[in-house]
Amino acid sequence: MPDLSVNIAGIELANPLMTASGTCGYANEYADFVDLRTLGAFVTKSISVAPREGNPYPRVVETRSGMLNAIGLANVGLERFLDEKIPLLEELNLPVFVNIAGTNIDDYVQVTEALANVDVVKALELNISCPNVKAGGIQFGTDPASATEITRAVKAACGKNKLIVKLSPNVTDITAIAAAAVEGGADALSLINTLTAMVVDVETRKPVLANRTGGLSGPAIKPVAVHMVHRVYTQVAKPAGIPIIGMGGIQTGRDALEFLLAGATGLAIGTALFVDPACIVEIRDTINEYLTRHGCTSINEIIGALE
Amino acid sequence: MMLLLCCHFCGAGFQPALFFCAAMLYNVPMCTTDKTRGVFAATVLENRPLCDEHYLIRLQTPGFPATEAGQFVQLQCRPNAIPDAIRVVDWTDDAPPKLTGGEIADGEPLLRRPLSLAGRDGDILDIIYRVVGRGTGWLQRAAAGTELTILGPLGAPFPIPDTISQAILVGGGVGIPPMLYLAKALNAAGVQTTAICGARTAGLMPLATDDSGQSVEFSARGAHSILCTDDGTLGRGGLVTEPLAELLAAADDPAAVAVYSCGPEIMMKYVGLATTDAGAQCFLSLERSMACGMGTCQGCIVKIKDDSERGWNYKLCCSDGPVFPAESILWE
Repeated sequence: MPDLSVNIAGIELANPLMTASGTCGYANEYADFVDLRTLGAFVTKSISVAPREGNPYPRVVETRSGMLNAIGLANVGLERFLDEKIPLLEELNLPVFVNIAGTNIDDYVQVTEALANVDVVKALELNISCPNVKAGGIQFGTDPASATEITRAVKAACGKNKLIVKLSPNVTDITAIAAAAVEGGADALSLINTLTAMVVDVETRKPVLANRTGGLSGPAIKPVAVHMVHRVYTQVAKPAGIPIIGMGGIQTGRDALEFLLAGATGLAIGTALFVDPACIVEIRDTINEYLTRHGCTSINEIIGALE
Repeated sequence: MMLLLCCHFCGAGFQPALFFCAAMLYNVPMCTTDKTRGVFAATVLENRPLCDEHYLIRLQTPGFPATEAGQFVQLQCRPNAIPDAIRVVDWTDDAPPKLTGGEIADGEPLLRRPLSLAGRDGDILDIIYRVVGRGTGWLQRAAAGTELTILGPLGAPFPIPDTISQAILVGGGVGIPPMLYLAKALNAAGVQTTAICGARTAGLMPLATDDSGQSVEFSARGAHSILCTDDGTLGRGGLVTEPLAELLAAADDPAAVAVYSCGPEIMMKYVGLATTDAGAQCFLSLERSMACGMGTCQGCIVKIKDDSERGWNYKLCCSDGPVFPAESILWE
């Protein structure tokens, strides 16, 4: 059986699969539907210092081969996360990556410091790419100097935790932001977050979502994501020796393999979980089958192997 | 003992790692008997029109967990296989890869469709749906023998308090189906039940009537029925709230009456107001657009009153509901 284990910034994962932040709640929601230990790591929904109730309804709308969401970083806040959710995450017996959000650097640092000594947490994923709130970090994700500044500030507060910076595709040149995050001390990069998008109700002449715009996810964005992963891999991550967690429309094992070949070491599954949480089993097994058929003994042989 | 029969093909847990599961995203048969919820394989037994735009689909769903009236399922509304599965035959020595083109051409709905249960007979689930878009449009074309997957059961059921002796069901349009399932449960509980069913016009009433104008379906479930159409083409002309007001006024002990409703939100709002004014209990089944149905996407928010300073907070229709006490809902 091929070896599926990968190493992300010094964290050993049994396989590259993880949940994409915001599509998996806080651990226990999918317990009835799939054994989450099929994953290599668990990535939580965004946590901010104060609880956030999120945007008004409607928050989601389906599109061709995808969906828009504008949830607005609804979350229970840091205090309840520590009290109520960390114990549930401990039961998963998986490395946990916590996605952190904020409106200014102090917010991010406060969440970072609070998680520095939590054992089950192995890494933080810095959300500087949420397109759905007015001050939700995207301002840090679209300007290279700001990206470096916040990465550096958060990295200094991380303690034992590794720092993953999650990149927005809503920029002219994603490699510039990737390079800025690396300069700030990022241990890994994750990409892509959703693409800002709009669906219009032609009868009312209004956007369908209450937030007017939302983030496009699902199979529709996969080719964009694969391309961006490959660009960041070749131009930034590989030269710097930093791993990429690839995401954006992964639904099947073949999708996952495209990301691996393009240069992703980790793989996050998001929208597909809404349709069938057990898709991670098929994805894992298809990767295994592919490696066996191609005579590979380790998944590392195909990471970045695009010709 | 179905567990032993199906577990080798199960998507979760026990699976030899080298066994290549050809099942793609939508056709992963699951372990059944040990789960209270999950994704299950289903076969279409029957799929027929009941009236304009409304269809009854009967799904053979082996091992589907126990369900109650008011719960819903997330039904796949697209073909089973995603056509970009890796197959060795796609890659030959003397020709370029045989591309299925499936990914490019895939115009079928990505997300499942949340649909309430209209009834259940053993492993057979009944769902009555209205064709409103791409998903239900695809479903309408699913012939007997079509294999699908179904995720569920989801949501909280209609409560049946043991203090009630009378129930009034108010269904509007495609809100009528869950009332059929509820009527059966109320009949079993010995509660005297009247179903008030409304539609815009006769052609949109998904019920059959007998010579006395009673719904055959509700009669079979031990319930009296009052059919209403907005345009008077079937049953009483006018809104469902009129017969509701009459029944509530005639009740000897309103505290022993429960009103259950599902349908257009404006209808449910007035059903709720009339019922709580009369001193009876009222439970409403809400509808929201949602992606997952499992409480993770957080798309299906409902404003529910609480004791906070501003007096309300968001709850999730899928997992906190879809059934809520009428007085708890903050209407916009």
